[in-house]
Amino acid sequence: MELIEQKTEKCVIVNITGRLDTTNYSLLEKKLTDLIENHEDKILVECSKMDYVSSSGLRILLMALKKVTMAKGKFVLCNLQDNIREIFEISGFSNIFEIYPSQEEALKVF
Amino acid sequence: MIFLAGLLTIFLIAFIYTYIFSSKILLEEGRKNAANLTDLTITRIENILQPVQIVPTNLVQALETPGIAGKEIIRLAREYVIESPEVFGSCLAYEPYVHSDKEYWYAPYTYETSSGVRFKNLGSRDYDYFNLDWYRLPKLMNHPVWTEPYFDKGGGDALMCTYSVPYYKVEAGKRVFKGVLTMDISLSSFERIINSVKVFKSGYAFLVSKKGRIINYPDLVTVNENILDIARKGNGINTIRAIGEMLQGKRGFVRVDGLRAKKDPSFLYYAPVASTGWSLGIIFPEKELFSDFIGFFRRLIIIFAVCVLSILITTVLITRRLTIPISRLVDATHRIGQGDFNALLPIHRSNDEISKLTNAFSVMQEELSTYLRNLKETTIAKEKIESELKIAHTIQMGMLPTEFPSRKECDLFAILESAKEVGGDLYDFFFLDSDHLCVAIGDVAGKGVPAALFMAITRTLLRSNISLSISLHEAIQRINQSLVKENPNQMFVTFWAGIIDLRSGEMEFCNAGHNYPYILKKDGIVQKIPQTNGLPLGIYNETPYSSRKIQILQGEILILYTDGVTEALNTDQEFYGDNKLVQLLSGLESKTANEIGLKLAGDVHAFSMGHEQADDITILVMIYEGMNTAKTYSMDKIKVTLLNQLDELEKIVDVVEEISGKWGLPSRVSMELNLVLEELFTNIVFYAFDDGKKHELQIEFERTGEGIIKIRMIDEGKPFNLLTKTTIDFNSPLEDRKVGGLGIHFVKEMMDHVEYERDGNKNVVILTRKFS
Repeated sequence: MELIEQKTEKCVIVNITGRLDTTNYSLLEKKLTDLIENHEDKILVECSKMDYVSSSGLRILLMALKKVTMAKGKFVLCNLQDNIREIFEISGFSNIFEIYPSQEEALKVF
Repeated sequence: MIFLAGLLTIFLIAFIYTYIFSSKILLEEGRKNAANLTDLTITRIENILQPVQIVPTNLVQALETPGIAGKEIIRLAREYVIESPEVFGSCLAYEPYVHSDKEYWYAPYTYETSSGVRFKNLGSRDYDYFNLDWYRLPKLMNHPVWTEPYFDKGGGDALMCTYSVPYYKVEAGKRVFKGVLTMDISLSSFERIINSVKVFKSGYAFLVSKKGRIINYPDLVTVNENILDIARKGNGINTIRAIGEMLQGKRGFVRVDGLRAKKDPSFLYYAPVASTGWSLGIIFPEKELFSDFIGFFRRLIIIFAVCVLSILITTVLITRRLTIPISRLVDATHRIGQGDFNALLPIHRSNDEISKLTNAFSVMQEELSTYLRNLKETTIAKEKIESELKIAHTIQMGMLPTEFPSRKECDLFAILESAKEVGGDLYDFFFLDSDHLCVAIGDVAGKGVPAALFMAITRTLLRSNISLSISLHEAIQRINQSLVKENPNQMFVTFWAGIIDLRSGEMEFCNAGHNYPYILKKDGIVQKIPQTNGLPLGIYNETPYSSRKIQILQGEILILYTDGVTEALNTDQEFYGDNKLVQLLSGLESKTANEIGLKLAGDVHAFSMGHEQADDITILVMIYEGMNTAKTYSMDKIKVTLLNQLDELEKIVDVVEEISGKWGLPSRVSMELNLVLEELFTNIVFYAFDDGKKHELQIEFERTGEGIIKIRMIDEGKPFNLLTKTTIDFNSPLEDRKVGGLGIHFVKEMMDHVEYERDGNKNVVILTRKFS
């Protein structure tokens, strides 16, 4: 898995590439925790290149969502691959995350 | 200074000795003089006293003779009084009624006055002479007596001493006392004699009676006092004792206090006047006895002081003259010592030792300056070389691969510890293709930069020459030829290279004079890898090299090392040696490559503790994990064995990828399998075992029919039936959402069928999924 962080005027875009699983979720955890602790509470996760996520990964995303919501910030996802979208559906996470089909649409909410 | 102090001490001792000795002599001289003077004075006094004794004695003898009348005697006595200037008066005193029956007192007395000789009868009621000393004592003692000094009131009316001689008449055969004949001497008679005695400036003589009554004492006005009282007024016991002895008629010389009006310490010489029992003393102040002597010593001290002072000045002047050039030289040397090599040395013109010393210093200064210049240049050059050596070391270490391949077929680790900044050892490993791993180790003879360069060339040649298209020994031969060609320093390198087919474990290897590597078997047995009998590289162009093949089995470990390991020395100059190496290795068969490598290096270090590392230590360890042990292949069945460690997840990913390709699974299905297996696997890793140990678990994949896949996952952990676990609540708000149970939820949702059974001590989960 590879994480690319990009700061824009509106928010921070975190781009996840590859598999997000039990062996590497801690990298994402650290990245998101650092951002939130530095008061970067407007976060957009770009998922177009994320081709796998397991419950460990979902746990991190859920944690980030909770923390950002508490800080009155915004945490949204965009461009989920179909497979990933299915996992979100099955887990019920699609109900609690704001998910946008494209980055442009997602950026509008900030 | 020490010399001066010594001199001073010697002078002082001599001085004190002289003083004590001289004062003793002086005192003795004083005593002798005083004795002589005393004796002389006593003689003069006796000269007065003797006749005064003789005349009355003779007259009494005459008086005792029958027929001689008292009148005649009185007349003779009177003539003597007139003749003798010392005799003041004379009396013939009778016992009562001896002269006549009527006269109780009869004492005719002739005496001198200023207006001539008078005569009178002394006896009367007012002058009852019978009780006076001059009458009473001779009567009592039956012999002539000198009285103590007394004032003869009613008699001579003067201060006097009286010599009384008793006279007797024989009556009826008995001597009967009849009276006394006296001669009075005025005490002033002795004044002249005593006063004429002069000792030093203020010394004098004095005369005292037997009882201490003062007869003449020039210094003290109070005459008629007792000398004992005077002595008692002073505090000296010595003085009282001396006076006591003096009054006993002894002779002596003592130091006394308080006997003089001035009360100054004095010396007293005393001796008796034999005829009267008086005592004459000569007293003189101590100060005056020594006055000349002290004056002399004062002058001596001044002379002495002048001498010492002039010696001192002369010494200082000479010393300064000698030391000034030396201290200048010392100053200059200090400056040189502080690094000022241009410090001017003092110019010393005379041709003595100092100028020789100065010349020697000048030569030393120049040589030192030159030496330091050279040293500075050398040091700069050395520092430059050292920093270059450090850079070379960094470059050299950079050439060695440190990213060990993360292939499951092998576990590889290598370490090189240089003895000097740059060494001649090398190791290398690289893949020739996806299945062929080349490992190599070498040791260039020699150390330092040339060895390092040679090592670099060898490594470059290794990488460029070894390929799968030619056999290993041919490649080694080419490397050798290239090294021989460009080898002006006649260097060589022992070298060992092997190519392992990771699929089969077959290894082809070639040894060019290197120590034979070891294979550590699964049961702990350590075996040598056979030799291929090649010379080290870089020696002969035409040397042939051969290679051999051996089979490495799964779990066996290849160990390459350089002689820095086996020839490491300890403080007893013993080698680490092959035995110790083999012994250590045989316990390490279950360790990882990294552990084995570090353990061996650590053991060598511990062995050679305290001894400088003599040679590079290089170790390369490769564990062949094998290809076909974890997976079982068949067309429709694949089995994979995993350890309960998270990093084993990779194997699941690999095997899912494999069956997806083989059985044509849609990407969605393979992703689901991935997800489900990961969730189950992580559950087992986190929760199935509490003992922290490694455990195996199996996953079997089976294509049971067209489009159906069945997966059995078996572990030996705690019983866990996932079907009984509740799944997540979808309607709970965000704050209450938990991730627990999500995995199992995925399993149930994504699989078509999920079964659980407990088979003995095993959990068996059976998953079924249609995929077409």
